[in-house]
Amino acid sequence: MPKEERYDFVIVGGGPNGVGTAAYLAKCGASVCVLEERPEAGGAVENTEPIPGVRITPHAMYMYAGPAPAFEQLELHKYGFRMDWSPQSKNLAEQQVRGVATTQGLAPITDKDAMGWAKISGMLTDPPFIKELLRSIFWCPPHPPEIEVTAENVPYMQVYKRHQPDVWTEELLDMTMFDLMDEYLETEPIKVMHAMVAWYSGAAGHWEGVAIPALGCDITLTIYGGISVPRGGMHDYFHSIIRCAIAHGTVVRTCCPVDEIIIQDGRAVGVRLRETATTDEKKIWANKAVISDVDVKQTFTKLVGPQHLSTSFRRKVEDISLKGGSIWVSHLLTREKLRCRPKFRNPVSGDDAGLGPYPCDSRAIYYEHVADVDGRRGKPTMPPERLMWLSTPGDRFDAADPQCTIPGRYLASPYYTYVPPPEYTVGGPDALDKVKEEINAYLRKAFSQTIENLNDDTLVHHWANTPYESEFRNSGLIGGTWCGTRHCDDQWGENRPIPELARYRTPIERLYLCNQTACHPGGLALMAIPYNLMHILIEDGLAEPGKWWYPSPWYIPQKGKISAVPLHAGGK
Amino acid sequence: MKQKRELVGQPHPQCFFSEFPAESDWDAVIIGAGPNGLITAAYLARAGLRVAIVERRYEVGGGLATEEILYPGFYSNMHAIYHLMVDFMPAIKDFDMERHGLVWIKPNLQTAMVFGDGGSLLLTRMIEDTMDSFHKYSDKDAVAFGKLMRNWRRIVSEILAPATYIPAMPPIDLTVAMQRTDIGREMLELVEQSPLDIINNHFENDRIRAFLLYISCMWGLDPRETGIGFYVPLLIDRGMNKCYLHGGSHKLAGALSREIVRAGGTILESSDVIKINRHNGSVTGVELMEGRTLNSDVVISSLDPHTTFFDLMDKNKLPTDLKDSVERWKYDKWSFNTVHVVSKEAPHYACEDQWVDESFMTIFGFESTKQLLAHWDNVVAGKIDKNSLGGHATCESFLDSHLVRKPGHISFFQMHAPYGIDGGWDKRGPEIMEAMLAKWAKAAPNMKRENIVMAKQETPKDIEIRFPNMRRGSIKHGDYTPIQMGCFRPNEACSNHSTPIKGLYLCGASTYPGGLVLGGPGYLAANRVAEDLGVKKWWKPTKEMERYIKTYLT
Repeated sequence: MPKEERYDFVIVGGGPNGVGTAAYLAKCGASVCVLEERPEAGGAVENTEPIPGVRITPHAMYMYAGPAPAFEQLELHKYGFRMDWSPQSKNLAEQQVRGVATTQGLAPITDKDAMGWAKISGMLTDPPFIKELLRSIFWCPPHPPEIEVTAENVPYMQVYKRHQPDVWTEELLDMTMFDLMDEYLETEPIKVMHAMVAWYSGAAGHWEGVAIPALGCDITLTIYGGISVPRGGMHDYFHSIIRCAIAHGTVVRTCCPVDEIIIQDGRAVGVRLRETATTDEKKIWANKAVISDVDVKQTFTKLVGPQHLSTSFRRKVEDISLKGGSIWVSHLLTREKLRCRPKFRNPVSGDDAGLGPYPCDSRAIYYEHVADVDGRRGKPTMPPERLMWLSTPGDRFDAADPQCTIPGRYLASPYYTYVPPPEYTVGGPDALDKVKEEINAYLRKAFSQTIENLNDDTLVHHWANTPYESEFRNSGLIGGTWCGTRHCDDQWGENRPIPELARYRTPIERLYLCNQTACHPGGLALMAIPYNLMHILIEDGLAEPGKWWYPSPWYIPQKGKISAVPLHAGGK
Repeated sequence: MKQKRELVGQPHPQCFFSEFPAESDWDAVIIGAGPNGLITAAYLARAGLRVAIVERRYEVGGGLATEEILYPGFYSNMHAIYHLMVDFMPAIKDFDMERHGLVWIKPNLQTAMVFGDGGSLLLTRMIEDTMDSFHKYSDKDAVAFGKLMRNWRRIVSEILAPATYIPAMPPIDLTVAMQRTDIGREMLELVEQSPLDIINNHFENDRIRAFLLYISCMWGLDPRETGIGFYVPLLIDRGMNKCYLHGGSHKLAGALSREIVRAGGTILESSDVIKINRHNGSVTGVELMEGRTLNSDVVISSLDPHTTFFDLMDKNKLPTDLKDSVERWKYDKWSFNTVHVVSKEAPHYACEDQWVDESFMTIFGFESTKQLLAHWDNVVAGKIDKNSLGGHATCESFLDSHLVRKPGHISFFQMHAPYGIDGGWDKRGPEIMEAMLAKWAKAAPNMKRENIVMAKQETPKDIEIRFPNMRRGSIKHGDYTPIQMGCFRPNEACSNHSTPIKGLYLCGASTYPGGLVLGGPGYLAANRVAEDLGVKKWWKPTKEMERYIKTYLT
């Protein structure tokens, strides 16, 4: 019985980025092993059926990854990838008809709002340049350290300059998304709605210098992805990625927690498994590299260990902020289909599902919410009438892919609400968990602002995963966050999560990072980190993709490294 | 075989990336990704066939499910957990499951039974440890058990276990073959006795009788029925050799699905098959609820007979015999009702033998064979006597730390229960759960309210909701009775895994040799399809099977 195994690459953590990286590397012909500590790979891209016939979505729900090169490069359709398209995806104009949910009911959206939004989203040119715009935001590795980042070489700036020069201004790099919208849109509620969609998608509408990344987070969902979900939920999308990896030879091991990344002479050479790991091998060696899909803090503090790190580096890692997105996720099983109050129903179709963010009256409410979540760090103090939250359509989009199959029962899952991160909560990380039922009741009161029939008579069950519970469930979701760490300018692009780690390399030779907390462009299961990391692994001579590979057009090779641009495409 | 078209992605008219196409071509389509469907698909995919396997749930595995039903933070093996045939299942060897990191644990302490007065019995992997425990009640029974098990082990390892993976034979031929050896003749003598007779004939102490009767019949034998007595040695021997798959039962499904994908097969979850297409009497593929079509001249169903023949095909175009046999099909006489709990402490049983706490399975609630039989009679009659119920419990976190994401223990208490209970499960469920928890707390006093963090009941109805082809909560897709076993499972025309409909095959638990994660139907169906299509088999029978073939069939 072998006690040690050897692969080209050992990937610690089987979330979408770890497995996506495995798929790319295996397709290059490398031998790859992915080690996942939970019984099922997929990380936060997961499904679960806590009671028979009720499939809930603990975290990721929507498809953001539409523009990913991986759909072509990894040919995910061959591995069963399918979508459930939202009716809204066929009729974007309908969103405009319905308007935006405010405490006063649905606020209208004007033509100027719609045209302005379409313009900055790259939808007004023929053909539209939205795909190029999104790829430039997410699907390009940060520039090498010797390159000074300027308004000329930021990828999305290049795209605007080329396709929509009247939008281009150097100030795009400094704006908040609110600033941008103030210029192109006119109605306050729609601006607040988009700011909140962006905040819930990683880069908030009020953060300085991330106007375009925030816009990107929003439109990759709302326009490109049609506010739709993959068939079977996000986990089935993950299935297509993991099956691509496996089809190309990747070995995936579940219930195999890693205790240590083995460092010899400053170089990562393998991993040591926890003694409970469900395999008889205790050490797994990596000929080429170890890649960590574990969050950035645990990667260095637990798996590498302080003895291999400089004090200043260690401190920087410890100081990475966990704020900006700790979500309380609610799942409501009811005896009646939840109905909007009349003032929130779509005036044309009567449809009342999936209102999205609420309430979007003004940015005053938005800022109150920001202060409450990231400023005060305690139990929510917003009155339930003003609490901001985000609903998703209860019955999804495809009658042939139901989330709830129990006759006479209806599921609304997930409803998202931001709360303070457990690590910073006054009273300790479990302070909110101790009053879980109280907070659930408070949330239901908030939900009832738009829903007319959520009450004790209709409610069968209210599950919630608190941020602290999310950390237990997915140990990589530090802070119980949606996207790991915030997509703010100080943690974006060349700064994510700290400049020393921005190009996925680490102070440890042959140790690379692919976790959303550690890598540009962060979360949302975009398959962007695996694609971006490929450029770096090619630079370091560790990956040699075939003809199927194409690099990002905005990618700049690092001096003295192998270019990720193939020779046939003019690379050196 | 026809040339199959290359799978081309289908772009959505509004969107910019491709999906799995509306129509695709395959050499074989398997319906249902439970253990048997996965096994069939894995063998055929590695044999070079272009295989698609379609699953209704969002995850493959069927009963091989390890899921977070105690949400959030706690996983349970909410269906199959006791793997009885790990020692013999060809798929484990053929696919070299160790390579997939699959590690089965076979605890020595297999099953305990605790009684109200603090007495207890143990069934262990080692015969002598069991005998030690029997000596507390009867020296005669302890000695009888030792002698009997030496023979029964041989009956199992030389006959019953290998025969599980060899096509069914008509009873006459089987009888003739078994005459060749002493153990074959001994096995035949058992066939005609009921489980109750066999146990009463060999053992005198009532507690030992109740213990062994529970182990023999817990998977659905009628204790008083004759004609299937050979199951007693099989289930007692296998009851001493149960394995736990470290990391949870789902790991086996994961490993099999990786074999399928690695060999070029495709798995589609969240896809309900709504129709098996036919043309001129032969199957031509399947239609999915979402509107996609998979074309194939070979369709292999792992579903129950009603679903396969009546729901997915036009019942009125079936041969009369086949239609009649499906109509006659009897689902399991009883199902299970299970209470899963998260507790601060693991269950600690009130009994003089503290080894019991480490047992893989612990039976409690029954003080005598009379009481046990009364419980089963009640269940068959659609009743549960809340004052006299019993069953078996397992503490999963004791075996497997990976199931627990937060501090705490997970265990379940499972009892035989009717699908059609008097009053219905919706109404009776809560009181029955309370009664079970009370019973558990009586056997293990620390399982009181204050120790229990979360509790959740899975009723027979729930089993059917999760796994609709376990109709009426039938975990084996159909009762174990003499007329539904061997070459009669599911009927004489289909028990060799092909059917009177050209291109349609069966590979599920309702087909010979049956359910309980034996992996038999899946293996045999793969063999049948490979033979019919003239595909070269890359696998060989196990050495146990070869010996059986040599001794009895040549």
